[in-house]
Amino acid sequence: MTKKKKKKTHVPFRLNMLFFIVFLLFSALILRLGIVQIVYGDDFKREIERTEDITVNNPVPRGKMFDRNGKVIVDNIPEKAITYTKYQGTSQQDMIEVATLLAKYIDKDDEEVRERDMKDYWILTDEERAKEKITEAEWDQYREKELTDKEIYNLQLKRITEEDLLEVEEDKEILAIFREFNKGYALTPQIVKKGVTDKEFAFVSENLEQLPGVDTTTDWKRDYVFKNTLRTIIGNISEEGLPSEQLDYYLSRGYSRNDRVGSSYIEQQYEDVLHGKKAKIKNITDKAGNVLDTEVISEGERGKDLVLTIDMDLQLAVEKIIEEEMLAAKKDPRTALLDRAFVVLMDPYTGEILTMAGKQIGKDEDGKQVMNDYSRGTFTSSYNVGSAIKGATVLAGFNTGAITPGTRIHDTPVVIANSNPKGSWKQGLGTLNDIDALKVSSNVYMFHTAIRMANGIYRPGQPLPFDSSAFDTMRNYFGQFGLGVRTGIDLPNEMVGFKGMDRSIPGLLMDLSIGQYDTYTPMQLVQYVSAIANGGYRIQPRMVKEIREPVMKNDEIGPVIQEIEPNVLNKIDAEPGWLERVQEGFRRVMQEPNGTAAGKFRGKPYSPAGKTGTAQAQYDGPVKFTGEKPGVMNLSLVGYAPHDNPEIAMAVMVPWAYYNEGPSINNNIGSRVFDTYFELKKKRNEEQADPQGPEHEVENIDEAQEGQEDRITEEALSSE
Amino acid sequence: MERSPKNHDKFDWTLTLILLLCFIISCTAIYSAQTTGQYADNFVLRQVFWYAVGAIIISIVVLFDSEQFWKLSWYLYGFGVFLLVLLVIAPESIAPIRNGAKSWFIIPGLGSIQPSEFVKIFLILALSRAIISHTKKYQTKTIGSDFLLFFKLGIITSIPLGLIMLQPDLGTGLVIVAIFTGLILVSGITWKLIIPIYGTGIVIFSTVFYLVISNPDFLEKYLKVQPYQFRRIYAWLDPHSFQTGDGYHLINSMRAIGSGMLTGKGFNGREVYIPENHTDFIFSVIGEEYGFVGGSLVIGIFFLLIYHLIKTALETTDAYNTYICAGVICMITFHVFQNIGMTIQVLPITGIPLPFISYGGSSLMGNMLAMGLIYSIRFHHKTYMFSNSEL
Repeated sequence: MTKKKKKKTHVPFRLNMLFFIVFLLFSALILRLGIVQIVYGDDFKREIERTEDITVNNPVPRGKMFDRNGKVIVDNIPEKAITYTKYQGTSQQDMIEVATLLAKYIDKDDEEVRERDMKDYWILTDEERAKEKITEAEWDQYREKELTDKEIYNLQLKRITEEDLLEVEEDKEILAIFREFNKGYALTPQIVKKGVTDKEFAFVSENLEQLPGVDTTTDWKRDYVFKNTLRTIIGNISEEGLPSEQLDYYLSRGYSRNDRVGSSYIEQQYEDVLHGKKAKIKNITDKAGNVLDTEVISEGERGKDLVLTIDMDLQLAVEKIIEEEMLAAKKDPRTALLDRAFVVLMDPYTGEILTMAGKQIGKDEDGKQVMNDYSRGTFTSSYNVGSAIKGATVLAGFNTGAITPGTRIHDTPVVIANSNPKGSWKQGLGTLNDIDALKVSSNVYMFHTAIRMANGIYRPGQPLPFDSSAFDTMRNYFGQFGLGVRTGIDLPNEMVGFKGMDRSIPGLLMDLSIGQYDTYTPMQLVQYVSAIANGGYRIQPRMVKEIREPVMKNDEIGPVIQEIEPNVLNKIDAEPGWLERVQEGFRRVMQEPNGTAAGKFRGKPYSPAGKTGTAQAQYDGPVKFTGEKPGVMNLSLVGYAPHDNPEIAMAVMVPWAYYNEGPSINNNIGSRVFDTYFELKKKRNEEQADPQGPEHEVENIDEAQEGQEDRITEEALSSE
Repeated sequence: MERSPKNHDKFDWTLTLILLLCFIISCTAIYSAQTTGQYADNFVLRQVFWYAVGAIIISIVVLFDSEQFWKLSWYLYGFGVFLLVLLVIAPESIAPIRNGAKSWFIIPGLGSIQPSEFVKIFLILALSRAIISHTKKYQTKTIGSDFLLFFKLGIITSIPLGLIMLQPDLGTGLVIVAIFTGLILVSGITWKLIIPIYGTGIVIFSTVFYLVISNPDFLEKYLKVQPYQFRRIYAWLDPHSFQTGDGYHLINSMRAIGSGMLTGKGFNGREVYIPENHTDFIFSVIGEEYGFVGGSLVIGIFFLLIYHLIKTALETTDAYNTYICAGVICMITFHVFQNIGMTIQVLPITGIPLPFISYGGSSLMGNMLAMGLIYSIRFHHKTYMFSNSEL
């Protein structure tokens, strides 16, 4: 016990001091606890009640489309809609509850409900009886993991009887709503019903508290002011969410799965511009998902507007001409197969498409003959165009040295051994130089040019050995004009046309030289004739002139964000003077006696130039024939005016116009189109209309708004 | 088990009652805490098991009297240091790195064990013995002898402290410092030394703290302090700007405790998710479910425990026992203050458990070992019946 010492006197004092320190520290803790729990307790309580921040993206309207003069073509109509947003942790049972309640307030079409949906619903709503569908033995197997969840479920599905399903028959509406709920993705509002009536909207709005996840909102619907005009070019918007084939593309660009995007033509091509910035809204909710507060993170912005190059007045007038001419032509029995016609008008210097009109005769449900819009056929369908392309053939001849400016050739049928003689459209055209060969559309001139290009030596009645690489030479040169290649128009799905594969006989090369072998689209034709008109530049045709800032006012167009510049794709490989000869030939076609289009165009004040085309073709249209398809005539016309200072280039295409012989519907349409264009121009100059395109006013705002209601009712009627 | 009436009187019923309360609180709180589902284990059952182990430890320790501890203290201290050294050199297969610290041994079948929890107790024994030996040797106190004592205690403390900081485990390191500081105070070293030493300590601490807040680059450059240890301080002062790690913990802990308000949300009424709330953040569960009343009650129980320990320290006639009590008081006080303090933004977050309440085998066994010492002091207290409380 030696180590033991009596406690020193300091120890109790120091221990008490230690105890005092402990007391102070613990008091501090209690004080602080009081501050946290009693003084600020309410704040913390409120804070945890609103910890769940949920960001929701609300849709904004897409950009509008205007024509070059500021007429609105595509507008947006607000539409009342009811949405459902699935939050984290929302169970199927919760959703059924909400759907049941919502079904009381709104009418929902239950046509889409399938039997399988009803079975799923039956199982969800009556779990007890669903369990009874499985025998004890099977449950045992399940417990021993011999049956999977999925197998059990499938057994249940199989054993639900017709009578069982009758029980849920009257819940079909709930089921239809529930289906819509399930289509949505977490935290993104899913539209449950569009076109909600005012009454439904009010009912649901009043009862939002009882309907967690449900919201009333404004959805936007496209309004096509000019109805079917250009409808096929404007394109569509995907109905339900992102198109599955491009899911990754859009998701990687920040779209959400249920975003609707442009799925075709202009809507698709200019999706980046047209889609707006979504409004981001942060919902602050409590644990039960009740929204306590809403905070706008970003306002969102409507998509930017497009000013198209289209002149809507001209477009409408041209479409009217096409319709009238087609209907007139259809009275002739020889035009039985005629069902479509196209006109494209382009500014030959800028590539702006003023009009792209296509009409197709179809039948409506009652079998009545109707004119459908087929404007997209101007670049998605191709035809044998005939002699219209001879300008390119002559220039190809110059370029290869096969002929020189002024080369004269006697027009007499070309006879090659073992082939039918090939002549011009009429006998006795005489000896022609290059210009007159164009004027009277001599096939023989082109045949000889082609033979010379292929290094063939023509001896009447003899076989004609030739160099088949001339097919490539000629096609490559045609390609410089846009014939047989993409024109580069700013729309998807452009077609290049078909190229004949057989290169074995010189006759086919000769056909190629007069536009009867390969097929071309009307868009290619207008690019080709523009290149001749503007002195040899291949210009990219385009639909969009400007991109404009979106503005809130309906009757205003916002300031220009971007103006699309003309794009020269290539310059034609030609020496000075060559193009002038072709231009002169084209002028004579329309302005001199005996020109193939002089009948309709001679004496017109606007000094037109151009080239007609008549192709003997085998019918390759939609009507089905057994056996050999009948021979038909494709009519085409390319032109521009005025010939010395062209401002407008035109391509007219009327495939399968008639059997053997018939009216020159191409020239009828072409001359009326030019007349209309120049009349419209004159009228506008007199009215001092602004030729520089839209500035700030929507030209047709009154008509657009007046017509809106009619269009909505019309659509509602047609969809019923 | 037969127990003579004398034994019955010597048995520390107060301490038993306190520990029983702690046991109930611990199990209830852990039961609620594990409903977060962060881990799949049933921690309540395991905590019951550890309490049982703790009871066995106490009954073993009671068999020894303080004379035997006196003899054992250096061996135990040496064993503790050995374990800590082993921890440093052991491969990761038996001493894995968890949460960035190498503080555990894996014992197959038992789980893992944290030697530093026991080293704290061994250190208390060693320091107490050193104080006694020193005062015996230097009967007349001078500044010189007091300084020598301070120096000795410093050496004894710094060896395990250094090893623990190597793991690194700042929390336990601070506990060691607290034990050292408290024993210095109680050992009777003259104020002439304590005031300048503590004063210097406070000045250095304040300077570093100031630098951390206003000029962290300096610290990183010259003192080579790890940046994450600054972050802990920033997160404490401004949790909303450091929401990822500690700040997130602190904000949620404050939300949980704050929203408990006066009386709490009741058993299992927990709403806020806090990771690790069955161990270091157990107080946030208590604060949330039982409010200010419950939280204060827990602090009150600890205060009662400290009061009981102080009483024991004063009643015992053996100075060695007094120092042991003082060491345990410092240890528990620091644990409680640091642990509860960090959940209510009084102190920065450091990972140490709330004694007897937090889930954890090592921590509970270490604390039970300390309680065993107290039981033993009470049990073998020879003058127990005749002494008067000096409080």
